[in-house]
Amino acid sequence: MSRSMGIRAAIVLAAWIVLVTFPQWSAFWESSRFAAGVIRQILIFAIFASSLNLLVGYAGLPSLGHAAFFGGGAYAAAIAAQRLGTDELVVSLGAAIAGAAVLALVIGFLAVRALGIFFLMLTLALAQMVFAIAFQATDLTGGSNGFSNVHRPVLFGLDFNAAGDLYVLVCVAALLVGLLLWRVTTSTYGRALVGVRENERRMRALGYDTRTLKLSAFVLAGAIAGVAGALSSYEFRFVSPNDVALGTSVTGFVMVLIGGAGTLVGPVLGAAVVLLIERVLPSQLPAQTVLGIVFIVFVVFARQGIVGALRRVART
Amino acid sequence: MTFEDALQQALNGLSFGALLFILAAGLSLIFGMMDVVNLAHGAFYMLGAYVALSVTRATGSFWVALVVAPLALAALGLVVEPLLLRRLRGRHLDQVLITIGLSLVIADFIRLRDDWGWGATVRSLPFPPGLDRSISIGGSDYPTYRLFVIAFSAALALLLYVLHRRTRVGALVRAGVGDAEMLSALGVDTDRLFSVTFAIGAGLAGLAGVVAAPVFGLQPGMDVDALIYSLIVVVVGGLGSLSGAVVGSGVVGPADTFGKVLFPQFALALIFAIMALVLLFRPTGLLGRVRIGR
Repeated sequence: MSRSMGIRAAIVLAAWIVLVTFPQWSAFWESSRFAAGVIRQILIFAIFASSLNLLVGYAGLPSLGHAAFFGGGAYAAAIAAQRLGTDELVVSLGAAIAGAAVLALVIGFLAVRALGIFFLMLTLALAQMVFAIAFQATDLTGGSNGFSNVHRPVLFGLDFNAAGDLYVLVCVAALLVGLLLWRVTTSTYGRALVGVRENERRMRALGYDTRTLKLSAFVLAGAIAGVAGALSSYEFRFVSPNDVALGTSVTGFVMVLIGGAGTLVGPVLGAAVVLLIERVLPSQLPAQTVLGIVFIVFVVFARQGIVGALRRVART
Repeated sequence: MTFEDALQQALNGLSFGALLFILAAGLSLIFGMMDVVNLAHGAFYMLGAYVALSVTRATGSFWVALVVAPLALAALGLVVEPLLLRRLRGRHLDQVLITIGLSLVIADFIRLRDDWGWGATVRSLPFPPGLDRSISIGGSDYPTYRLFVIAFSAALALLLYVLHRRTRVGALVRAGVGDAEMLSALGVDTDRLFSVTFAIGAGLAGLAGVVAAPVFGLQPGMDVDALIYSLIVVVVGGLGSLSGAVVGSGVVGPADTFGKVLFPQFALALIFAIMALVLLFRPTGLLGRVRIGR
């Protein structure tokens, strides 16, 4: 590990410790509990957006169907816990990861055949099929009512029912996913994905099986989105077709682009901005309209997102 | 399924396909010219339906709405294209992303306009007088409005074909679809051509919204449904050509209708399966000129 990387790791660790102890050191603040809730949700969506960013930012695959894996994971977690009658974290989280990964394998198998805009159309349409299943297969998914009163999980006797403990769980999950994505994107595999984004033809000429590369990234990103979905089911204690809907896919995409695609921090910042607009903005302002306009402004004027804009400022 | 049922469902499938044609033609036209998949197409469709609702309430006539709503949407397209899309010319993916932002804004706008009688509740548009009854076909009653949809859509297809093949604008559009850059080099104002194309596409989406409203009603989420169906149609039929939209809607409309009757649980799965098969074995779509994948 080089020295600058060591410093970076120390900064990240310190920031994480500050974050994970937020409920303690902000206890004097009257809105501390509300803020901790918003941070939990930001982190859950940061995991979701980061997984999408692996596709959009690194592999150059503009997926507009990522909610299929977020919602698929949430449903898998809720269904497994209910059918098996257990609150064990390992069971519901495992089911979420496995379910989302399988779903991503099926959808990805078709979608990676298409390029660019067509990939976007296909992922959108195929995810909508998952939405239709969630909506129509009432026996399995509860139909439009979804699952309410989802149990929060336990792990080795540790109970995550208390908001404070759930907070720690989400922080740990976010850190682990962050480390995993850092490891993946800096590996030769991650560089190969960027190669596919930049020039797929050339990668093929170099002997890479680009379709398998893209499919593997799609499955990995799907599995991570499944983790976010499971966490969301614990957080809201509710799973509904809304989790699989196009709106959730769009939200993830907006987070990635606003924050900065192809950077590890970008999606986290994007998730923070979007959730602050949705949760904290005065309620008389129409959140979706603001979001749409902010998104358009970023696409037109700051395609590299917040991170790109900050980098440009830092350089000058 | 008796013969009467089959005939009735065949007509239903045909009228749904006819509606899908109006919807998909606009999407396909814009793509053919500009290489942009307009993801606000569903939102345009929805806005068309709501404008028709207001116009019908104000004037009392569905037929006025049938003219005004598409024109309003075309006007919106005429504003949106130069304002948002033109500055991103050549960045196709970014243009697509812009249309996502646009659809968010439009859907939210409709949701919040309770004071215009829009809002988040389900609204309905009555059948136009004269087309609100049924006639007997093959021994069973069939709603005349659905027959009107089939005839209207067929007439529109014919009109678009003639415009496309026999007029100067049609020639320009065909040339633009072929090679917009060359057209520009020949001295044609492609900026204006793109704006007009986008406006016509938006107008067609609005028209589909008006035509569909008496049958399917108006509610939040109709924009997404319309977008998904039109995407499936253009993928199946092939993007960027009028005949592709005809074939795609001719396959998807009846397939969806019969699927819903025969195995209601898997109706959506059926049309997605058709799309997947087309994609695997004919990546250009049935009649397309653009390869969707490899």
